[in-house]
Amino acid sequence: MSILLDEGQQAIATESRRVLEARSDKGRLLGLLEQVGACDAVFRDTAVEQGWTALAIAEEHGGLGLGLIELGLVAQAAGGVIAGAPFLTVGYGAARVLAEAGSAEVQAAWLPRLASGEATATVAFAEGNAPLPPRPTTTFAGGRLTGVKEGVVAGLAADIAVVWATSAGEPALVLVELSAATRNPVDGFDNSRLYADLAFAEAPATLLAQGDAARALALDVLARMAVVTAHEQTGGAEAMLTIARDYAVTRKAFGQPIGAFQSVKHRIAELYGLVEIARANCIHAAALADAPGGAAGFLLAAADARISATEAYDTAARDCVQIHGGIGVTWEQGLHLHMRRARSLAIEQGNLLFWEDLLVDHLTGEVA
Amino acid sequence: MSDYEAFRARARTWLQSVAGEFGREARRGLDVEQDLALGRRYLAARFDAGFAGINWPTGMGGQGLTHIEKVIFDTEEMGFGMPTAYFGISLGMPVPILMRFCEDKAFVKERVLKALRGEEIWCQLFSEPAGGSDLAGLRTRAEVDGNGWKLNGQKVWTSWAQYCDYGVIVARTDPTVPKHKGLTYYWVDMKAPGVEVRPIKLAGGDSHVNEVFFDDVRLEDSQRMSPVGGGFAVAMATLMIERYVATDSGGFGPHLDLFVDLARDVEVNGRPAIEDGRVRSQIARNHAMRAGLESITTRAMLMMQAGMEPGPEGSLNKLVAVRSRQKLSELAIDLQGNAGLAFDPHASQKENWTASWLNAPTGRIAGGADEMLLNTIAERILGLPQDHRPDKGVPFNQIPA
Ligand SMILES: Cc1cc2nc3c(=O)[nH]c(=O)nc-3n(C[C@H](O)[C@H](O)[C@H](O)COP(=O)(O)OP(=O)(O)OC[C@H]3O[C@@H](n4cnc5c(N)ncnc54)[C@H](O)[C@@H]3O)c2cc1C
Repeated sequence: MSILLDEGQQAIATESRRVLEARSDKGRLLGLLEQVGACDAVFRDTAVEQGWTALAIAEEHGGLGLGLIELGLVAQAAGGVIAGAPFLTVGYGAARVLAEAGSAEVQAAWLPRLASGEATATVAFAEGNAPLPPRPTTTFAGGRLTGVKEGVVAGLAADIAVVWATSAGEPALVLVELSAATRNPVDGFDNSRLYADLAFAEAPATLLAQGDAARALALDVLARMAVVTAHEQTGGAEAMLTIARDYAVTRKAFGQPIGAFQSVKHRIAELYGLVEIARANCIHAAALADAPGGAAGFLLAAADARISATEAYDTAARDCVQIHGGIGVTWEQGLHLHMRRARSLAIEQGNLLFWEDLLVDHLTGEVA
Repeated sequence: MSDYEAFRARARTWLQSVAGEFGREARRGLDVEQDLALGRRYLAARFDAGFAGINWPTGMGGQGLTHIEKVIFDTEEMGFGMPTAYFGISLGMPVPILMRFCEDKAFVKERVLKALRGEEIWCQLFSEPAGGSDLAGLRTRAEVDGNGWKLNGQKVWTSWAQYCDYGVIVARTDPTVPKHKGLTYYWVDMKAPGVEVRPIKLAGGDSHVNEVFFDDVRLEDSQRMSPVGGGFAVAMATLMIERYVATDSGGFGPHLDLFVDLARDVEVNGRPAIEDGRVRSQIARNHAMRAGLESITTRAMLMMQAGMEPGPEGSLNKLVAVRSRQKLSELAIDLQGNAGLAFDPHASQKENWTASWLNAPTGRIAGGADEMLLNTIAERILGLPQDHRPDKGVPFNQIPA
């Protein structure tokens, strides 16, 4: 697959950005921070209306049959406006697991509803600080799931979750309806992500995959979600770069625009470097995702994308606030929305430590 | 891409066939003069094999192919450690500029063929003691002398000048106008009377750069390659000409695999270094950086292939690559502990961490210091304000020294 975007892909990028910018509202996002359990309904409705929930689901299941490149472009636009809902990433991940490992009944029951936005799904792989623990403590036996998954993205709102669990001593992927779970909201620094601790006590669940097959699929899906997240981070970093740049040409001090001071100017130029490298890695990873025989290369590329995008967004958020001076740390100005999102995205789908380790393991051939 | 892959295979086959004669092993233990002589023979062989001037017009001895074949060949060639460094600047900037701006086509053709065959080498005489980053601050002057010009002054940091036959030079022809406006561009015969070259020893121990003195050197008006007073624009064209020096051999330094091997071989506090989080983090971030730059370069090539103009992000290459090479080289020396103190001045910067580290600063300065590159990105790409330039619009001879 090419890393040059074709016309259709460019249209998706432009159109999603246009729609999101028109509908985004800083005041609304600020409001979300002060409550627990709410997400950005406008974004959610937009995603359904624009068909983004259907984007990467196969046509036979009511989707649009597009791929990670297109989804990435939408995620990038969403990241740019700090769109307050996490459905794109985990919804895609869950649908991917169902499409790869679900029975015909499971697929028929859920994929069309996920595509239409009638139902939403999430992924609950992490335990503790491990995004994909080798031996999950959540257990599946006799069609029942037991255990706790902490800080699940979109966990407050999703109808179903794909859960990483242990079954008969082996890792397994399990589908569970969240009506059967106890959901405890996490009151965090970025509340619109709908984080929840999910507790399962003998919840009825369906086994999707087990053993090595489950592990391979889980890692692939985690990497795919990481690539979507990396796009979202890159979009956020790019927004911070633009905002910093625009402020630096207008705000004056000592009789000149602050952007004329090299310490400020060079800081912004450095952000350009971080953003472009992250973007390049994102496009490359997305293009590799479905390349024949590219599995190992894809994991490496996903790690590259995730590492560079995390660095880009954190740095851009940090520096953009600094460049704004006092106004930059006010609630009203809202730069902290990006600061918060940069950190929450840095944790979702595996932190830097995880991806750095995975990358080095691949380079040394010590793949788990 | 199959045409390109066929080209790559052909290039590799040829390179392999001559690697024994010209490559890394053949060069071991040679002094500079011997290595240069080997380099000249290599260029002649490369010319005869049809791999010279890959993206230059056939009428000029080139192959008339695209930039992509050029990058493919350079990439393949780089792995063999061929003696090409002496000709990098010559074929990189001055000779293409000669093709573009010199009007005497018969003269140009002869020079180009000889340069492609390694028989003649060109240097670029821009920098001066008072004009480095501030290129337009140069003081070397050319004064009208009969129907030609008389050149006086000093250049510095001129790569390979001691082996050069010709050079391109910018000189001040009118000190009474603002600095950018009083410059004129010429070619100069480095063997002409009044030209003196004095090598400068660099931090790494080698002396490939020089001071060059001009004492009443005679230039014919036919040696002028810009309108009188229009030299700055040609100088800029010279600097822009290789926009995608994707294969910049200095850039990354040693391959990351070499670092991984090192980290597996040594221990930190009794544990393998490759298990140390600090080491792993550096490896991972370096990999992500290299992957990003490679992807940017690949995309640029695909765009050129599709007849599009590549984006400005190609300008990040040198800036990002050399800095991280410097840091990684420092860590590599750390990892070796006392053994890291050893230094072989002949070791390759692409294979040896100490050589890479000691020469990395050159990469951050030559061809535009980091600060200048950041200025370019900030001003040209991001539209940030230009630096305050108190000398702007002031006649050159009224700028306080
Ligand atoms: C190995 C080597 C080979 C070279 N080969 C050639 C060659 O073949 N031909 C040739 O013409 N030149 C050559 N050069 C010269 C090279 O282009 C200059 O060294 C370079 O442009 C920097 O100029 P300078 O050394 O005068 O440093 P200066 O311009 O004096 O810079 C000193 C410091 O000030 C900073 N600085 C300067 N201006 C600014 C600014 N506006 N904003 C912020 N910081 C600033 C610089 O970044 C640097 O950190 C070579 C240099 C080296 C080291």
